[in-house]
Amino acid sequence: MVRAVLRRTLRLLLAAWLTLSALFLVSRASTDPTAFLQATFSNNTRLGGQTEQAALTQRLLGRYRLDRPLFYASWGTATGWRWHGFHNQYHQWATGLLRGELGRSYRQDETVTELLTRALRYTLPLTLLAAVGSGALAFWLALGFSYRPRLRRLGLALLHGVQSLPLFLVAVGLLLLLANPDTLAWFPAFGLGLDSDAGAWWQYPGRTLYYLALPTVSLVIVSLPVLVVQLDGAIQRELAQPYVATARAKGASRRRTVRHHVLRNALLPVLALLPELLPGLVAGSVVVEFLFALPGMGRLLAEAAATQDYPVLLGAVGLVALVRLAAQALTDVLYQFIDPRIRLL
Amino acid sequence: MKLFLSRLVLGLWVGLLASCSTPASDTPPSTVRIRWDRDPENLDPLVVSNKSAYEVSTLTYCSLLSGSEADADFVPWLAEDFPTVERTADSLLLVSYRLRPEARWDNGTPILARDVAFTLKVMNCPGLPIEMDQAMFGFIQDIRLDSTDARRFTLVCSGPSPDHIRESGDFSIFPEYVLDPRGELRTVQLADLRRMPAPAAATAFAGRYQALELAKHPERLPGCGPYKVTTWQNGRYLTMARKPHWWADTLPAPPPALQAFPDQLIYQIIPDAATATLALRRGEIDLYALMPAAEFTRLQQSAADREKLRFYTTNSYEFLAASFDVRQPVLRDARTRRALSALFNIPALIAGTQQGNATPSVGLISPRLKAYYNDSLSIPAFSPAAAADLLRQAGWQRQPDGTWQRPAAAGGPPQKLQLGLSYRAGEAAFETAALQFQAAARALGIGVDLRPTEQSVLSGQLHKGETDLSIRTFTGNPFSFDFTPLLHTRGIGAGNTTGFSEPASDQLIEQIAAANEPARKALLLRRFQRLLYQERPFTVLYFLRYRVAAAQRLGTVPVTGLKPGYEAAHIRPLAPKS
Repeated sequence: MVRAVLRRTLRLLLAAWLTLSALFLVSRASTDPTAFLQATFSNNTRLGGQTEQAALTQRLLGRYRLDRPLFYASWGTATGWRWHGFHNQYHQWATGLLRGELGRSYRQDETVTELLTRALRYTLPLTLLAAVGSGALAFWLALGFSYRPRLRRLGLALLHGVQSLPLFLVAVGLLLLLANPDTLAWFPAFGLGLDSDAGAWWQYPGRTLYYLALPTVSLVIVSLPVLVVQLDGAIQRELAQPYVATARAKGASRRRTVRHHVLRNALLPVLALLPELLPGLVAGSVVVEFLFALPGMGRLLAEAAATQDYPVLLGAVGLVALVRLAAQALTDVLYQFIDPRIRLL
Repeated sequence: MKLFLSRLVLGLWVGLLASCSTPASDTPPSTVRIRWDRDPENLDPLVVSNKSAYEVSTLTYCSLLSGSEADADFVPWLAEDFPTVERTADSLLLVSYRLRPEARWDNGTPILARDVAFTLKVMNCPGLPIEMDQAMFGFIQDIRLDSTDARRFTLVCSGPSPDHIRESGDFSIFPEYVLDPRGELRTVQLADLRRMPAPAAATAFAGRYQALELAKHPERLPGCGPYKVTTWQNGRYLTMARKPHWWADTLPAPPPALQAFPDQLIYQIIPDAATATLALRRGEIDLYALMPAAEFTRLQQSAADREKLRFYTTNSYEFLAASFDVRQPVLRDARTRRALSALFNIPALIAGTQQGNATPSVGLISPRLKAYYNDSLSIPAFSPAAAADLLRQAGWQRQPDGTWQRPAAAGGPPQKLQLGLSYRAGEAAFETAALQFQAAARALGIGVDLRPTEQSVLSGQLHKGETDLSIRTFTGNPFSFDFTPLLHTRGIGAGNTTGFSEPASDQLIEQIAAANEPARKALLLRRFQRLLYQERPFTVLYFLRYRVAAAQRLGTVPVTGLKPGYEAAHIRPLAPKS
């Protein structure tokens, strides 16, 4: 067992390393290293001639160590293979990564680790709340549908309708409905308020909930249909199994049969959603964070992409990729926990 | 037990609901809450990289001179008066300043010439992020302190450009007592910092400066401006408090540049325009500048919002233009460029994208600069018939299938009049202009391929000369008229993305840059506009008007045609009604 866990961990680490290396090399090789400087130059009317701008570009590339070769070796049609030694961008990044450093942001002069940590402080409460909320609601609805078949058809039709709504539309709709002086101004329109207005410590959870209510509900509404449809489908399949008829024949109520016999088996296909759900928790939501002015991971990723801030982009995408790999491993373990007949290790 | 549990849950729920209420928003009357669309990101005064950071910098630090839109020139700020200038035989400019005797740092010590010398050394200190400063202020070669007056000094500048006189006073002055309390950089000369290896004192100083982490802790470097940063929650908000005893308060009649009224400024970072509009209408912010045209018009038309808000528009120095790459074979001829310019329906474009709130112009000088604007030229009119005539004059022949062709000069295959039109993806105004042009061109038999492109990719393409026609904005100001980066031959490969290069134009650009007399400058600028009108390296579609909506309680907001569109320090909130 220990050997199997070790083997699996090593495979996970190797996959993570290869993923991150591929991300690093592809993102750097396919883009112009001066691209993130172009906006600075186009906003500055004082940088006159070509020689002046070329010299400045070279100095700035030197500051960010982008003037080095990308990899240990490179291929040129005229020069053939060329060895650059350890003085290259990949080596510098990889050695930094081994020390636990993800580099510094070009824009903010902060370490990527600091930026990711700060963004996760805003994203995790939001996505965890949304995940718990949609998970609980999905259970409640799917179980309810299994007890009341008449409601099921109507509920599923409604959920399929909701599933067709894009997140942006749902979030704007909620904002215009519940944070609008023309309709109901029950919730704040943006952000998390000023810290100076925070009040007593015991008010903090309630206050955070109040500010996160609309973003959370937006995420719950769009993620709920998939969960309910999946769980409901699994329950319906299980309800057709002979062991359900046996349980009912022994006198178990429909509710008791579902809760004690069907649900555990029905959870198995739902577990397949975990590798999708968990990366989403750390990746945040660009739309919701942008609309409700929350500086979380989604906004960090979008802004880093828009400004070619590659260290941040790589750090954030790498984190999401790592969580996805970890989620796949966790799902495998959970499969065995729920159904001991399954052997994946 | 069940009853106890249900009561416990109920109690917790009630407690949670009670704490869910927002605290009463008792905004003090002298607090102004402003919307920003993006975070300042980096508040190191050596790295001012976006307009939010620039706004913080101008409220925190003072420079020697300050741009004044009302005067259309720089005016003294920390300097006592406009500098005196002496030209030497070896093409050097000696720009002499004296600092205001009232100017003080926060600890009460006077601001002296040695602080300016220290600032210049910081701006040249190896190991610090000084690349931009070196590019912009590298023309300041040395500083000479006056031995008889601690406030007087002379900047030794290279190059004869009059713009250098103004630019020599346009950098923030740093306090030596905070960054170098023991004066270790005093013995280091400015020239020594530009040589390698760097002096040991400079290396040690760079280490101390970096350790302050000013990029995220701006409060560690108090400037001599009226405000200091009190809180900065990255990506959420930034608050600034007015200093209770600012040195300029002691002036008997402070000039506008030295006035600051609000006690507190709260900048709320709200990236989305619709959310920001809601926040303004709910009274969660007081001021929303550079508002999209549609939102602004909608609020203006609402009676309820008119009661709560005031609306301002002002002409800016930013214009939308269709820019030609004159190096492309089909666009080398000025008549072809003029013909294509006639396919933009500017009034319809202004109505469609700006709700009628923009100003057409004959060229790159804003119509609000009446002295310099060439009003004898007429605004380019939408006229497909005139465009067809001009194309024929340029040698294009209409083919039976409706397209246009021109025989190649060297006997090669004939040229077809087909264009790619590039613009920044996701910009509604750019897209509308592109679609309008495409429709008009297609009706005339000219194929136009629309190429919405991501910003940095587009910048790269423009610099490499890989576009035909592009729609983009250009930003100017009322202080400087040096068009070298934009249209001079020397700017090709850098800011001159049109590739436009004419000896007559280069000469005019140099004459304008060297002109000091307003009358001569006006004459040259008018001549330059006429030349550009004929050559048409780009055609100006319209000058943008900046739109500002603000709460009634702010009184009259001073708006400007320069970003951010308002002067936060000059807002005087009205006293609350009793």
